[in-house]
Amino acid sequence: MADSPVTINSPGGQSAPANPEPSPQEQKQMEQAYAQMKRKMSMEEIGRKIKHKIMVLSGKGGVGKSTVSTGLALSLAQQGHRVGILDIDITGPNVPKMMGLDGRRLHVENKRIHPAEGHMGVKVISMAFLLEDEDTPVVWRGPIKLGAIQQFIGDVEWGELDYLVIDFPPGTSDEPLTVAQSLPDIDGMVIVTTPQQVALLDSRKSITFSESLKVPVLGVVENMSGFTVNGTTAPGTTLNIAAPGGKTLTTTADDDGRFAVTLDIFKQGGGQATADEFGVPFLGALPFDPGFVRGGDDGVHRIVSEPDGPSAQAFANVVEAIQNQLSDGADGSLEIV
Amino acid sequence: MRDALPTLKKLERRANDMVLSYDDDTTFTVTYDDVRHACPCAKCSPMRNEDDTSRTLRRQIEALPAEKPTVRTVGKYALSFEWQHGCSSGIYRFERIHDLANRRDPDRGKPYVHGAW
Repeated sequence: MADSPVTINSPGGQSAPANPEPSPQEQKQMEQAYAQMKRKMSMEEIGRKIKHKIMVLSGKGGVGKSTVSTGLALSLAQQGHRVGILDIDITGPNVPKMMGLDGRRLHVENKRIHPAEGHMGVKVISMAFLLEDEDTPVVWRGPIKLGAIQQFIGDVEWGELDYLVIDFPPGTSDEPLTVAQSLPDIDGMVIVTTPQQVALLDSRKSITFSESLKVPVLGVVENMSGFTVNGTTAPGTTLNIAAPGGKTLTTTADDDGRFAVTLDIFKQGGGQATADEFGVPFLGALPFDPGFVRGGDDGVHRIVSEPDGPSAQAFANVVEAIQNQLSDGADGSLEIV
Repeated sequence: MRDALPTLKKLERRANDMVLSYDDDTTFTVTYDDVRHACPCAKCSPMRNEDDTSRTLRRQIEALPAEKPTVRTVGKYALSFEWQHGCSSGIYRFERIHDLANRRDPDRGKPYVHGAW
């Protein structure tokens, strides 16, 4: 082993050649270190191949984060971009169901995981693809979860993408921390909230969390913002509708007898208020649309079933606001000398 | 809801401090040591929770060589400071910078727990 670059320093100060036959334990450690190094290099390469990486977070569960993630991905794909979704919600992965990929298995070739392709060619990676059945819970402690996330980032063959949307479980836990530390050049976070106080309180946590991770906040999206009731009656009829909070909304049917009233089921304007309070952008409000629930269950997202509908338009507005944030590094008025 | 924040118009970097000029015609000087001590990153923030660890953080910062940072805007709402030595991880919202300028506690007296104040 005279040519070996590896030497072992003996206690006497003399160098001895490395043991040509490492013990099985040493061999295993070397293999693990090599695999780790390879994965790190792979993550850096993936970082270069994906133009924009967007994290979607919420402080609270049940605000429709996965619906927003899939909606953003589909809306971006609608614009002709190459898009992927990484579903990091290991314990409750439901992006595949929403993308019509329920029951699909992942294809592995040359030790690389190939994502499944959902609606509009959106590539999807999710823990759900690895579960034997959807009723099996994933009970993993931190280090195992961390390893799985790193594998989902480093061992996936995404190819060239314009956007990667990363869907997280609710809260400020290990997952966003691991992704922020593993994946280089993340563009920022989209914080999803609903208008009620408790969700807003947790959103504020997500915003301060972003400062800790050095990942900019692209903005706040208010989901379930208002439910619009449409109907028809005799033209010119004035209707009084009992709304939440003891309010009465009044509307008049148009010449064709059509009327529409928006009910603010979870209050109104909280997302904007949170964004204002923290000085981060407000990206827009998404309507309370029962079609999202049906679409989620049926695997046909609202943007797919009704690509020109009001919900798809609301998503397009949010996407445009995100793209404005990505293109604008600053407001241009600050002079730094 | 906090008071409306004036817009930072100019940040002049000097050897040991920076001069901040706002659109309400107010001007402030903030030392780089104060900026570093108020770093909002997950590593520095918990150190400010207790007086003794906060003092340790301050001493660590004061032991660093004096240097002028590279300052960048983050989106339209914050600044980042890149240093040759020490921590460059935090994103400083303009509000935080304004608190520092006005000698207010940017953590607003709240301890940093699990990634947030």
